[in-house]
This record gives sequence, C-alpha cells and structure tokens, in this order.
Amino acid sequence: MMPKAKFMIGNEAIAAAAIHAGVSVAAGYPGTPSTEIIENIKRLGQDVYVEWSINEKIAFETAYGAAISGGSGLVAVKHVGLNVASDPLFSSSYTGINGSLVIVSADDSSMWSSQNEQDNRFYGLHALIPVLEPYDVQSAYDLTMKAFEISRRFHHPVIVRTTTRIGHVRSRVVYSDDHEPQRGRVVKDPSTYVLAPENARNDRKKQLERWHSISDYLASLCSYDPGEGDAIIITGGISYSYVRETLDETGIHANVLRLDATVPVPEKTILKYVNGMKRVLVVEENDPVIEMQVADILLKNGIMVEFHGKDLIPMEGEMTFEKLKGGLYTFYGMKYEGSILQDEPLTPRPPALCPGCPHRSSFYDIKKGLSRVSMQNSFFSGDIGCYTLGALPPFREQDAATNMGSSLGISNGVFRSTDAVPVAVIGDSTFFHSGMEGVANAVYNRTAELIVVLDNRSTAMTGQQPSPSTAIDIGNVCRAMGVEYVETFDPFDAESGEKSIQNAAEYVKNTGKPAVVIAKRACALEVLDKIDSETPKAYVDQDKCTGCTICYNFFTCPSILPLSNKKATIDDSCIGCGACVEVCPFNAISVKGEKPVGWDEAWNA
Amino acid sequence: MERINILLTGVGGQGIITMGKMIGNAAVNAGVKVLVAETHGLSQRGGSVQVHIRIGDVIAPLIEKGRADFIVGLEASEVLRNLSYANKSTVFILNRQTIKPVVPSVNAPDIDAVVEKLQAFSYYIVDGEEMAKDAGNPKGSNAVIIGFMLGMGFFGKIPREAFEKAMITDLNRKCLNAGYSQALTAKNNGGSRPAITR
Repeated sequence: MMPKAKFMIGNEAIAAAAIHAGVSVAAGYPGTPSTEIIENIKRLGQDVYVEWSINEKIAFETAYGAAISGGSGLVAVKHVGLNVASDPLFSSSYTGINGSLVIVSADDSSMWSSQNEQDNRFYGLHALIPVLEPYDVQSAYDLTMKAFEISRRFHHPVIVRTTTRIGHVRSRVVYSDDHEPQRGRVVKDPSTYVLAPENARNDRKKQLERWHSISDYLASLCSYDPGEGDAIIITGGISYSYVRETLDETGIHANVLRLDATVPVPEKTILKYVNGMKRVLVVEENDPVIEMQVADILLKNGIMVEFHGKDLIPMEGEMTFEKLKGGLYTFYGMKYEGSILQDEPLTPRPPALCPGCPHRSSFYDIKKGLSRVSMQNSFFSGDIGCYTLGALPPFREQDAATNMGSSLGISNGVFRSTDAVPVAVIGDSTFFHSGMEGVANAVYNRTAELIVVLDNRSTAMTGQQPSPSTAIDIGNVCRAMGVEYVETFDPFDAESGEKSIQNAAEYVKNTGKPAVVIAKRACALEVLDKIDSETPKAYVDQDKCTGCTICYNFFTCPSILPLSNKKATIDDSCIGCGACVEVCPFNAISVKGEKPVGWDEAWNA
Repeated sequence: MERINILLTGVGGQGIITMGKMIGNAAVNAGVKVLVAETHGLSQRGGSVQVHIRIGDVIAPLIEKGRADFIVGLEASEVLRNLSYANKSTVFILNRQTIKPVVPSVNAPDIDAVVEKLQAFSYYIVDGEEMAKDAGNPKGSNAVIIGFMLGMGFFGKIPREAFEKAMITDLNRKCLNAGYSQALTAKNNGGSRPAITR
C-alpha cells in the first residue's frame, strides 16, 4: 500500500500527529508561531474537543485535567505563552498523569513575531519534563506521535519544542491513520493530585523515579551518522538539517550524533559515541542546553576532549548556513568566506495597521482627546496585539509593551513612582487573557489611570481567532469589578471619541480613580471576510484638497497616498470604511458606492 | 539532483505566502523535494516579507546568503533589501510595482532606481499587475510571475502540468498562462509588449 502523504506546514504535521495519536482534548491560546496547531486540530479532528482558551494557563490546565482523567491531552502555545502556563507546568511533572499530556512549545528564534527568543528547553530541565526536538517537518509529525507514546507509557508530561523554521516550513509529510480519540473517566486520587506538602513530598520521590526511567528510555531516541576522524558533532533540532546538508555538500566526513530528545541528554548515549573522540562540537540554535548537559556528563566521567559549542556557534537568532559554517569551518581550521554582497539600506518597511483598521482611528482619537486636557504626553502603557503598532510614528502611543497584560501593571508602577496619570492601552482578547486582573488591582489599590480597551471583536494579530469579547461585555466586567466610570465609543466617530477620552481623563484627574473607555468596532479583516460583494471606496475631491498632509502623514491609512503636488489620492486597497472622511479638515474626502448587505452589522458585530 | 534556491520578497498582503505554496505544490506534484519557509504573524501586515523556496536535493529550509539562484520582487524594491542573498549569477525577476512604506513623509520607491542598482545582474521586469488584470484576476500577479519563470525554464525539470495542477482557480491558471506566453515572447526577442527588459 502506498503511504499517505501531503504537502503541509510543520504545525499541521503536529496537529495531524496529535489526531493520529488519539488526542481527545486540545487547547491553546493563539500566538505566532504556534497558532496553526490548534487551528488544524479544529479543522481535522472530528471527534476531538478543541478550544481557544482565554489564556495559556487555562489551556494548559484543560489538557492537564484531561490527562489526569486518563485521556490524551495536548496544549500548544508559543514560547512566551508557556511562561503564563508555567505554574501548572511544574505541578504536572510532580503529579504525573494517568493518560498522556503533550505540551507543544513553539519557540520563535530570531523574534519574527515575539518580544524575546527564550529557549524553552530550559523548562524541561527546570521542571523535569523531557523535551523532544524535531529537526524537520516529517520529524515534527513522527516525534509528536512519539511524545504521546512516551507520555502514556511513563505517566509523565512531554514537551515537543519547535522553532519557527519547523512550524512554518512547508514540506511533504508521510502520515498514518487516525486513532480513536482516547477519552478519560473520572479518577479520584487526591493523595497524588492535591499538592499539599505531604502529598507533594511523596510525588517528588515518584517524579524523580519517573525522570530516571525516562532518561534511560530516551537513550534510544537519537541517530548516529558515522564519519571519519576523531571529531564528533553533537546536534539536535533544526540545526541538524543545516549540519547534514553542509557536510554532504562540502564532503567533510564528520561523525554526527543527532539527539531527538535534547532534555535530558542521555548519559549512556554520550559516553557511547564520544568514547575515543578527541574533539567535540555541539551545534544548536539559541541557548547552550545540549552543550551544558554534555559538558556535565564529560566532566563527571573524567573525559577530557577539546570541547566547543557557543564559542563557535552564535546564540543570537535562528540557525542559518552562515552561522553554522562560520563555526564549523573554524572547528576544521578553515575559513568561511560568506556572501560578498550587502543588503541595500532602504527605508525600513515596518508592518502597518490595515486599511480600515479601527485601531488607527482610536489612536487618532486618543491623542486628540488627551491634548484637550494637556495629557498628550502621558506615559502610554501598551500591550500585545496589532495595536502594538501604535508605537510607530505618527502615533507613538505605546511607551512600553513587554508582555501580555503588561499595560495595567506597568502603568500602576509608573503612576506610583511619578504621580503622573498614565494611559493603559489594551486589546479585547488581551483584556480577557490577563488584563482583567490589572483592572481589579487598579480598583482595589486605587490607581489613577485611564484604561482604554481597543475592542475589535477578535484576536486579530494571529489571524482573527474568536475573542471572548463577542460573548462577554467588557464594560459589564469592569463595572462588576468596581470601576465607576465606564464608557464606550465608536472610533470612527472622531468627535465623540475625542470627547469620551477627554471626559474620562478629566474624571481620573479629579477623582484619583481608574476610568475605562472602550473603543468598539470590528477588525476590518473580519468585516471583509463577512462581505461577498464589492465594497464602497473613498475618493478625494482634488478641488477641495489643500495638500495639508493630515490624512497621509498623521492618519497614515495605507490606502491614502501623496501625489507629487502634495494633494492626496486613494488607491484600490481602500475598503470604504469611511474613517478618513472625518479626519479631513477640508471635507475633501467622501465615500462612493452602495453599502453591501450586512455592512453595518459586520462593523458593529 | 540540482538544487534551486528561490527567494521571494515583497510586502505583506501581496500574496507572497500563497505564491510559495503554489510553487511548492507544483514541485510536490512533480515528485520533486521542496521546502518552503514562511514567516507569519506580524510580518503579514504591510511589512517586508521573505519566503525561501528550496527545490531538489535539500535538507535545511533557509537559503544561504550569496546562494539564491533567483530573487523575485513582488514589490520591486524589496529585492534590494535582500541583496546579500545574491551572487553574480543570480537572476532577478521584478514585478513592475512599488509600494509606499506606511511611514509618514516617505514616498514609494522608484522602480528605475531599483533597476539602476541591478545593472551588474540579469533581471527581468514583468507587468504582473496589468497582466493579471487582463486575465481577470487583479490579485493574480503572483501566478503571472510563476508563469513567467516557468516559461523561462527557471524551475528545472518541474513540468508545466505540475504548475497548472497547483493553481487552485481557473483565473490563476489564466494568469499562469499569461506569464508563460510572455516569457516565450521574451525568449524569442520579438515581443510586442515593452514589458520586459533585460
């Protein structure tokens, strides 16, 4: 029989493997580069319970609860998302599970879409959870299957760690048949799962026993390509693919040990293959996780070799041929020449808010509203979402945006140390993720801050996953938590938006209490997805346009372009939202064309 | 077998990830190994985007700097931002389109200035937008350029049928064929359209 195969991205391969391994409960919170895992399980797993949880901690606990009950659970999050879930992560290693628990950590080396490039293999070392690391898209499939098997066999959680060039690389993948989802049944075992100190101490002993048996088992999860000479390259993850291709191409006949489990590095394996070698080079992306473990094993066993790792292979950024060859050639006493040509220094092209994005209007309204009360130079405590782009000119309305939900905690500290009223800006999905606690804190500790929730009815940045805001009213949540000033405005209605901001800012200054203003209008991409027919278009009346530049230099919709005479024109990318109409002081912009069916409903969803 | 390294560059929203998928699917249809490396998330919104396509006997996903055989600019100026991937034999394929960065007081790059910087290389300019519109699919410039590269023989042994099968819609197939014919005209040097320069 011909094996089944499909061209897919790594994240789809992980999703398919989870389904084929019998996952019955899968949960996550959207975050690049992890998002397509849950999306694909939703799409492909007919009998699997799949949810977007409100944050990674809940997602983790959901999969954990399923595994406690004997079911097969999967949680998929981006690297920084695992920080949010780190509390139950550690507990899961203590209690173990009855079924299987696979944690996919999608790390973002090079920070293509993240605030850092933390190496989550450290969570494995820290929490005593084994880490399997795919080296290509096919192995992402195979090792995810393996992770479920190991987890069920040892009753212990397993981490599958990918980086961007695993999850977001497309390749042909050979796959197997679906497995019936493995569901659980209610298990009552409080002496294991209630981590009161006495139970936890017992669990700790069992955890260490499991850890040692798993370490022994993982000794088989590796592959050795014998070469020539007394040098060995030890590698794992995507780095292996670069090593293998480079050696094949250059004809360097190195001995290569590929570890598919990079935490814990099995001692037996290292002793077996390093024995007789005089020189060792560890090649891995990001931090020296394999390197530290191998060095430790060699030291304990009194093995002296010439040892290299991060002294030759950079820690910063994702693995590339340039980084590998730079280190590998030095290891072999050669010189890597690299590319002769340099990139041209062009004007940077940062990502931009889309045509029709309500956030652009909100930032415009916020700035104008604040300037009415001389607060335009406030500290803007930002957060994570499309609206982080509000940090860029011309808005510059994010002075810090460090982690999910950071806007409210940071603004509290800024206020406490400066007495200046800050403006916290947070999106709707982020509000439910980890913003609500900050609002409660602001009420409880009486923080004088203006909280602006940019509610675009979706988790937009990661591809418009649904947001809890469509089911739970943010204003009601804030009122219930004791916020006395709550107002909602439509960001496309500039005059009332500016007024709302002004009034709320005055309230905060006068009372010393927090105020919440909600800017509510749907994500433009979400609207376009709902509309089949042609959208209206905005036009500039060239007779009325004075070339004042406000629309393209201060509002900066990508559809509005300057002409050589400084007047404005609007191109085909316009979606006819009409937000620019009010922005023009000379009434030169108007929208032409019929509103499609469902247009207003879509914007006001 | 031979390796082909193709770097697609452009601006988020132009259909660059779809273009990578189409080429990838064609290779798979022909039974040829292919890796397509994409970036998602923030990079989709009007920012610079690169897609690495590696065809043939390849293992690692990213192209080595200085080793791209072809650099495609769906937005013409973006190829310059990625010049370190080129060597003296690299062939550039430019879509006749430039896009203004969404930054205040900055204009769209000038395509002549882009071409000026490429004088040491082989390059082609394709009227992707116009040809796609003529074919009835204003968003099909990516398929036009694939067709052009196919007509030029840039995809090695992957046959035309594999690409036709990789086009999901008939309109995209029309764009592909338009690009293909354009390449044949260019090769015969008797083109009536001044769309292509070398």
